Amino acid sequence: MEATLRGRGFIAAPESADATSQSPRPASSRRLARARARALGQRTPYTMSVAERLLIARLVERDEQAFAEIVRLYGDKVFSLIYRMLGSRPEAEDVAQDVFITVFKTIETFRGEAKFSTWLLRIAANHAKNRIKHLARRPTEGADPEDVSQVRSAPDRPAPPVQARIDSPDTLLEAAQTERLMQEAIANLPEDQRLLVVLRDVEEMSYQEIEEITGLPEGTIKSRLHRARMAIKESVDRRTR
Amino acid sequence: MDHAQAQSTFSDYVDGSLPERQRTEVDQHLSACIQCRTELASFRNTIGSLGRLKQAAPPSFLGDIKQQIYKRSQGRFFRPRWKLFGRIPFEWVSLGTIIAMLVYYIALMHGSPSGVRPAP
Repeated sequence: MEATLRGRGFIAAPESADATSQSPRPASSRRLARARARALGQRTPYTMSVAERLLIARLVERDEQAFAEIVRLYGDKVFSLIYRMLGSRPEAEDVAQDVFITVFKTIETFRGEAKFSTWLLRIAANHAKNRIKHLARRPTEGADPEDVSQVRSAPDRPAPPVQARIDSPDTLLEAAQTERLMQEAIANLPEDQRLLVVLRDVEEMSYQEIEEITGLPEGTIKSRLHRARMAIKESVDRRTR
Repeated sequence: MDHAQAQSTFSDYVDGSLPERQRTEVDQHLSACIQCRTELASFRNTIGSLGRLKQAAPPSFLGDIKQQIYKRSQGRFFRPRWKLFGRIPFEWVSLGTIIAMLVYYIALMHGSPSGVRPAP
């Protein structure tokens, strides 16, 4: 099994640079590495859990059940991220499907240096950015902030948003209106700020996870996020005044 | 601290990542400035609303992906499986039938013949 995985590039050879995160090391060695990283003020190297390692190993073997489990675990998060980035449900469905197909095809390139979810969301963010660029070249088919309300009225619309589960019609209407305003405000942000605000405020991720997904330093993330939040607040204030 | 300075710290203030000394200065400004207090309330409200924008994937999501992979891999992966009553996979039905036949055969071979007497 291990030989197969190594042959497929899943488990790195001992001399390779990423052997630290892949090769099975004794617990004392892992603790030592973490302590050394803490002492040097570096981020703790990520170690995959046994369950995560097994799931990835099954995915590398193209186990269909393992893939289905991955989609069940992360489907909502990936879809939500892409939907809020693009503002269009059909586009989001298309891109989110592409993300999981890419994962199925390229799982061997996952080196285990970060959490699987981080790797997956990085792919999702890149796919969403590419689609934004693609749609910007064809503005008539681009992200349409009104799409949220249009789709909501569609008879076959599945999976209502969180707000739609509220009972009172007034509250429902107000929540839908707020959601539309928010989506419009997000759609008007520059692409880099849009990603940050979705990761931090919609998906509620930590700054460390956002750093790993975007590759940006914390200071840059914070300053761009502040600008994005202020822009959204001003946009919503303007529309509700 | 003026309004602009106070409002430039709102993100860190709300996230709780503002250094203690700066936080105290912002608190002091907020206690005396109704305009910034209103702005902060609106800022918090915006962030709270953003947190309610999570969206679940459509129910057909997994099925659609499987279908896509099946098409793109030219039938290599996620081949549709025949299921009895749409639930029991064909392999299980076959295995069950084989086991039932084996049990019947063994019972037939080892069972004592009844009602048949040897000819005198």
